[in-house]
Amino acid sequence: MTGRIRIDRQSIPFAEGQTVIEAATDSGVFIPHLCYHPDYEANGSCKMCTCKINGRQVSSCTTPAVDGMVVESNTEELNSERRALAQMLFVEGNHHCPSCEHSGNCVLQDQAYKLGMTALIFPNLTVGRETDASHPDILLNRDRCIYCELCVRASRDTDGKDLFCITGRSQNKGLAVNSDTGLLKDSGITVEDAAANVCPVGCIIKKGKAFTKPIGQREYDLRKAHSNKIRSPKLPEFVKTPGEKVSVATCSLAGCFGCHMSFLDIDERIVKLVEHVQFDRSPINDIKSCSEVVDIGLVEGGVCNTENIETLREFRKSCKLLIAVGACAMSGGVPALRNPVDVRELLEESYIDAIGVENAQIPTDPELPHILEFVSPIHEVVKVDFFLPGCPPPADAFWQILNDIVEGRAPDLPYDLTYFD
Amino acid sequence: MAEFDRDPHSVMQILRRLQLQQNVIHQSDIEVLADGLNLPRTKIKAIIDFYSFLHDTPRGRYDIYFSDSITDHMLGSRDSARTLCEALGVEPGVPDPGGLATVDFTSCTGLCERGPAVLVNGIAIDRVDNERAIAMADLVRGLVPLEDWPLEWFVINDAIRRKGPLLQQTVQRGSALERAIKIGPDQVIADLGLSGLRGCGGAGFPTYRKWDICRKAGGDERFVICNADEGEPGTFKDRALLNTEGCNVIEGMTVCGITIGASEGFIYLRHEYEFLRERLEKRLRRRRQMGQLGRNILGHHGINFDIEIVMGAGSYVCGEESALIESLEGKRGIPRIRPPYPVTHGYRSRPTVVNNVETFAYAAGIVAEGPGFFKEDESHPGWKLLSISGDCESPGIYELPVGTKVGEALEACGAQDVQAVQVGGPGGILLSADETHRELSFDDSNTGGSFIVFDRSRDLLDVALNFTKFFAHESCGFCTPCRVGTKLMVRMADKIADGHGARLDIEQMRRLNHLMTKASHCGLGQSAAVPILTTYEKFPDAFSRRMEDVEYKPAFDVEAAIERSRQIVAEEAGIR
Repeated sequence: MTGRIRIDRQSIPFAEGQTVIEAATDSGVFIPHLCYHPDYEANGSCKMCTCKINGRQVSSCTTPAVDGMVVESNTEELNSERRALAQMLFVEGNHHCPSCEHSGNCVLQDQAYKLGMTALIFPNLTVGRETDASHPDILLNRDRCIYCELCVRASRDTDGKDLFCITGRSQNKGLAVNSDTGLLKDSGITVEDAAANVCPVGCIIKKGKAFTKPIGQREYDLRKAHSNKIRSPKLPEFVKTPGEKVSVATCSLAGCFGCHMSFLDIDERIVKLVEHVQFDRSPINDIKSCSEVVDIGLVEGGVCNTENIETLREFRKSCKLLIAVGACAMSGGVPALRNPVDVRELLEESYIDAIGVENAQIPTDPELPHILEFVSPIHEVVKVDFFLPGCPPPADAFWQILNDIVEGRAPDLPYDLTYFD
Repeated sequence: MAEFDRDPHSVMQILRRLQLQQNVIHQSDIEVLADGLNLPRTKIKAIIDFYSFLHDTPRGRYDIYFSDSITDHMLGSRDSARTLCEALGVEPGVPDPGGLATVDFTSCTGLCERGPAVLVNGIAIDRVDNERAIAMADLVRGLVPLEDWPLEWFVINDAIRRKGPLLQQTVQRGSALERAIKIGPDQVIADLGLSGLRGCGGAGFPTYRKWDICRKAGGDERFVICNADEGEPGTFKDRALLNTEGCNVIEGMTVCGITIGASEGFIYLRHEYEFLRERLEKRLRRRRQMGQLGRNILGHHGINFDIEIVMGAGSYVCGEESALIESLEGKRGIPRIRPPYPVTHGYRSRPTVVNNVETFAYAAGIVAEGPGFFKEDESHPGWKLLSISGDCESPGIYELPVGTKVGEALEACGAQDVQAVQVGGPGGILLSADETHRELSFDDSNTGGSFIVFDRSRDLLDVALNFTKFFAHESCGFCTPCRVGTKLMVRMADKIADGHGARLDIEQMRRLNHLMTKASHCGLGQSAAVPILTTYEKFPDAFSRRMEDVEYKPAFDVEAAIERSRQIVAEEAGIR
């Protein structure tokens, strides 16, 4: 059957046997997707390409186009569901863009940007799946697997090797390698194989090639034109008398102070900023504790020890508006990479086995804060009002968000100021 | 393997048998199977990891599973399990160092009216109270073989409380078969159409249409599958039907085979119903001897149909017909992308009728005695078997007219002080005591057979939590909304149950439910978030008891988070 379908009010043709997503792609209409790939049989598992077709939600990659079909795709309802799906995939695995070699080449990251994902609202489902670094040229980092099954299909259908297989279900679902040892090195996979090149995320990557192209010039970095304006939550009310300044406090928990450095990159604009803004507790002015009431708190870094919790709770208590700044505050970020490792192993690595340590011992002074079992994003400890993603967020983002708030507008950051890599 | 003709489709059956014989599937078994069946070893590993009752790490010689259905909880299963664990000195799920026993939990085993139920090496035992648990521990420690355990433990009687046309057993054996051959396929399908029989597993697809579409689908090979994977918690009517009415079911399948032109049929029997298998095999043999099954049925040359029993290995989602077919083909039970439907592309991609046990049994009656067997007139549109369990005097099987009011069913089973009824299992609907006027029918309160009663002593948040965890455990993990969504729902439900809930959690659960309902691949994900949210809507008190009226409350437990660090510091300080 051939004919035409209507997608978001645009009439497009389809050829014999085409699915909705195939017809849309041919006509230049983009439908978000992860597990769909034009070279392979559709899988229909990621559900990112879900469209409303004749009033029902179905995967557009598995639905054959039928003449006269009415398809809704680019609607706020569907995009918000897709955004939630991206968020679910981010919390399911260890997707920390700033520390991922695949950042900029990652389809999941790109789709999340396009869908305007600025925060991970769900709790982290920390995983510690086995990483397979046995192969000389290829790395399998299972913590980043999104179960799109593209490697399974590519190895079976293109390479004719059938090397990958999804195992188990629900909690113990996994990606297995077919070899005597279960290791990649014994599987016969090569860098030329389609299966080694098809992974949309940073799960199957080539060793030694990660930084041949610098961040900023990678596949999706160059296509940042698709713009999706971020909708932000409502602001609490700041009742200000004319001339009264907005107070701002900042701190860094388990972070690197990179977000603070980026903030300072607003350069001479800081002079303009202090006309409207009064800095409260901040490393910038070295004030050590918050005033009773602060308008805005900017928190960089995740929560990794009891001192972080104390600081964070003080901030929450004092600040009317709390903003999580940067990847670590949002998701735990780089420090959270330690989450699958046992605390004893961490302490021994730092205090006993580290190079150049003399009188090696794990510190036991009761004055010292306790280290937490997991590094958590700050929204798991206190309520967060706004997320400013990035590693670090660009100086312009700080400039804009503070200006918006000072002038009483809900922060409205354009797409190109809201990356989380 | 030779017994299975080295057919890769049989891999799951072989694995299941190995598991029951050895209590483990060894790496060497996997290698032998991979070579013998010409399968990648990952595919075999994939299957072992998918099904609850297959393991590649050793279980105890006595592998004991307590049913984790809410109905078993209500009858004290957690207490009995604790007693047994203590008596044997084991932790749940972990065999003792000597490899004597494993005590574990599994999803509903279908003995809901006679719990707490357990499976020991695949065989069901009912009413395991503390006393029986202690006796069981003695037998295990004494290495008494299962055959020598008290016989009465293994007798699973069916509490049949109310009989309609099916349970009265008026249908003469073989009569449906004779009439089907006499009147021919067109008339069989016409009779089924007139009877109004719809799929009794819960989906309610008109049976005559399914048979008719299959009959008219292309190709010359067709299959009949009886879905005896009765996994919906609170359902046990198929168990009773197979136990007492097995012949009707077999006859219904045979009639279907003759009608649609299939010569092969399968009963996909859930692992938990192993105890029914021998009985069914015996019935199949007997029917073959009587010429009611096999070649040239009733002496009619060229009418051939035989039935094989294929066992499940522990997966709720395999009750979904396309997942069942995948499992029958020896794969992980992942529901297929539909369309095409099994009725045109089913087992081995051939047209296949998959019907529930009860549907086949009624079909046999209808074909034997005419449409009036099922439907008298418009005001008596048919019958439905209910499995009633929970808080009532007379739990058991009730054959009731379609359209029976919930209140009438409650009265029939002697339920007192009713707080709520869960109709249709965890994925069904929760009705409050004010909704007893609701009807049990496809158009109102639909059920595949499950009907669980909760009295006012029950905490409905615990019930919802049990259902939520059930779905997370049984999710096949194929699609994102269900795989991740069910895990997140458990996190949030636990958060509330632990007293850390807030309005934002409810809001987030609602959004997640919307997504899961709309975007999940199959019915499991679509209904997984429903129980907890319905409970919130209908029984807000169950939540407010454990929830403050605040917007945000973290689940973060500082004490728990630093426990490990404290422990290490204490150890280190001790060393110095």
